[in-house]
Amino acid sequence: MSDTFQRKPQHWLNPLSVWDTDEGLTEVNSVTTPNPRDVWDANTAYKAKTHKVGRLKYHVVWPAHGDKLWSRFRWWPTRRNALDIHGLYNRKTLEAEKKINDRRPIYWAICLLLIALGPLFFPASMQNTLLSAGAIFSIFAAINVCWTLIVGTASIFSLATYAVVGVSAFITTWLSMQYGLPWYTMPLIGGVLGLVMGGLIAFPALRLDGFYYALLTLGLNELCRVFFTTSKAFGSASGGLYGADTYIPQDLDPVTQSLVGYYGAFALLIAALFLFRFINGKRLGRILRMAPEKREAFAQACGVDYRTARVTIFLITSAALGFIGGFYAAQYRGVAFSIFSFDTVLLGLAMLTIGGIGRAEGAILGTLVVTFLDRVLIEIGPLRYFIIGGLMLGVVLFLNNGYFGIRKQFTAWRNKKRGEWRSQRAEKGGEALPEEATEEDNKDALFFRRFDKMQRDHLKKMICPEIIEEHRRRPLGQHSEALERVLYYFRRSPMEDKYALHFIEATDRYKIIAFSGKRGVSPRVVEDREYESIDDAYHAIFMRRIHDLMES
Amino acid sequence: MDIAFILLNALVIACIYGLIAVAVSITWSSLGLINLGYGFVFSFAGYGAWLAATYITKMSIVVMAAGVLAGALCGVLICLIVFIPLHDKPNFTTRGMIGTLAISLVGSQALLMQFGPRAKALPEFFGNWSVNIGGTVLTADRIGIVLCSVAMLGFVVMWMKGSRRGLEIRAMMMNPHAASIVGIGIRKTGIYVMAITGAMAGLAAVLLSQTYYVAPFSGLTPLIKGVSIALCGGLGSVQGAMIAAIILGFTEAVTSDLLGGQYVLITQFLVIICILIVRPRGISGLLDKAREQ
Repeated sequence: MSDTFQRKPQHWLNPLSVWDTDEGLTEVNSVTTPNPRDVWDANTAYKAKTHKVGRLKYHVVWPAHGDKLWSRFRWWPTRRNALDIHGLYNRKTLEAEKKINDRRPIYWAICLLLIALGPLFFPASMQNTLLSAGAIFSIFAAINVCWTLIVGTASIFSLATYAVVGVSAFITTWLSMQYGLPWYTMPLIGGVLGLVMGGLIAFPALRLDGFYYALLTLGLNELCRVFFTTSKAFGSASGGLYGADTYIPQDLDPVTQSLVGYYGAFALLIAALFLFRFINGKRLGRILRMAPEKREAFAQACGVDYRTARVTIFLITSAALGFIGGFYAAQYRGVAFSIFSFDTVLLGLAMLTIGGIGRAEGAILGTLVVTFLDRVLIEIGPLRYFIIGGLMLGVVLFLNNGYFGIRKQFTAWRNKKRGEWRSQRAEKGGEALPEEATEEDNKDALFFRRFDKMQRDHLKKMICPEIIEEHRRRPLGQHSEALERVLYYFRRSPMEDKYALHFIEATDRYKIIAFSGKRGVSPRVVEDREYESIDDAYHAIFMRRIHDLMES
Repeated sequence: MDIAFILLNALVIACIYGLIAVAVSITWSSLGLINLGYGFVFSFAGYGAWLAATYITKMSIVVMAAGVLAGALCGVLICLIVFIPLHDKPNFTTRGMIGTLAISLVGSQALLMQFGPRAKALPEFFGNWSVNIGGTVLTADRIGIVLCSVAMLGFVVMWMKGSRRGLEIRAMMMNPHAASIVGIGIRKTGIYVMAITGAMAGLAAVLLSQTYYVAPFSGLTPLIKGVSIALCGGLGSVQGAMIAAIILGFTEAVTSDLLGGQYVLITQFLVIICILIVRPRGISGLLDKAREQ
């Protein structure tokens, strides 16, 4: 700001010289004083970049009539609404409208409908691949939704999910082969097996925390793999155990069989989603949202029994996983050893991470992406593992919580950037920042600081060698306009840290001191130097003040 | 049942898995990273040694050095890809673990594409002789494995205790935040740690190549055993890892002698679970609380 103003030299004539009271200063070289309005304009201008159209948030308000806001659909026999709706008046037309606060149920319905109607749109050439991939997707999505309950809601980092599914699938297949169990009992028996397995696995979870448990369950998974692949009863040579009863009628043609399998798996997915909704969205889930990891002690102090809640969720979910295992066996007439392999756990983790841990929609999206890459793009060979690994790595490196965390992360990033931009714009030349201003009770002080800053900007333009020379020649008396204005400002400064002269009688010299500004507190000595004449001392103070002004 | 034979077996197994367990343990305690990519480091180092044996020379020192160097290189690679970009981000522990898993997925597939699924054999490093002490036959291979891994572990422990870099790593183990305040660069130390632990995994790979051969997915079992031993010994404690390695090596030797090979993992896990239920932080858990980020 001070750079734009061009100082002009000015020849100043002392008006007092007419009456011979000028004490030796008849004329001096000085500078013109700038127009104070320039500083005012520069300081009050709006410096943020402005656009023609403002940044108003664009809200979609569905053009639904708002006549009967009280009349809503309720799920019989509860009083729950299907959608979270509130009424508002349109700002332009002043008509009553309905606004949907939470649109997620609509998206869920659309997506599930798409999956349900999917077989209609599959191209005929790929119908078989897509139907089997769809069935696999639904089953794995159901497993991952349950896994999300364990990892997200219960915060038990268990990697033994596929072990539970696999054990239950193997044992139900074996039972079905040995004792001829019909298919409808297999998921139920699987559920019981899952509950037993869950109980066994949950026992260490009570003592271990976090990653100790994750690594232990990884080992358990490997243990199951080794046990089942080496045991003769479970068909160690044939790569899996097949021959169980199935719910898919065998006398239908293959496409219809695939369709039945597809919709059976889809029904399983819906059931898993309901389980998620009824655990995560109800009492157990809410209790555990109160007790996130590393803050359990606080929740416990509030009377939340988080251990019981976690173990309960773990047991329920293990039973559900066992159920899924039995269902899997009933769908595919058996199960392969690959369900226990490290790669399955790895791909499962990839599914959870890509979508975002702790959300049902994340688990399903991740499953969709990974299953599509893994099962549909088979012809591109091992390259698909590179894509999956790359996706996993990208998500882990750049996203805090998967795809469904992007929105929150983006908002946080934008707020951070906004703060940075604002602090770049703000000039901190003594003005109070907005954060400080809200803390200050005396708003007069804020305005004074603002005015003071402008005045200092104004005065800084006048400081030049000419007026310093003028002051050196005669510190007191009439001065040119530029120097006079600077001196008025200096004289008006508050008593706190105001410079003054101290006369030392013993040596007949002067010393610069600064007042404390507080009654009863003696001034401090600013420097040790002593001045012989009072004019030299005045000028020394003047130079100090100019220095302080230019520093500020 | 021959007590000396079992003890010897236990010692050999303990030596090899102990290397990986100590590597996992040091990485966890100093960087807070659960590196599940050691399986990939293991295979990578094996292939490095195999390449050296095929194209350079079959001299055992050179081949072993190539394996160790390849392991260190792979460790540094994991550090550069996962640890350095992620170490100051939220949810680092989970994300770091998944990142190392992703590297292991991509890396193993790359090895599979490059070298094919067939396992490769490395030359015998220690010759074909054997010594008979008090009725127990000690083959060259076993003596070599024990000596090499003890030498490597001894070197690492000496280096951690005596050198400036070791001091930095130990400072990171105690309090990473304070270490960074007093001028110990987290990233720089991360590279040292991953290089030395990668070298340990590489040595384990070379030593184990007589049992497991070199294949794209051969690192999985050693990784899982190493992780379980590290867990049982207490993540972050070198002594604990060694004690646990001896206990589990003994379990493995006894089980395979008495019950048969397929029950090894079951008895091992029962032992681990028992130990962890009594001491949830492992045998000598260095850190009272799990390392917090």
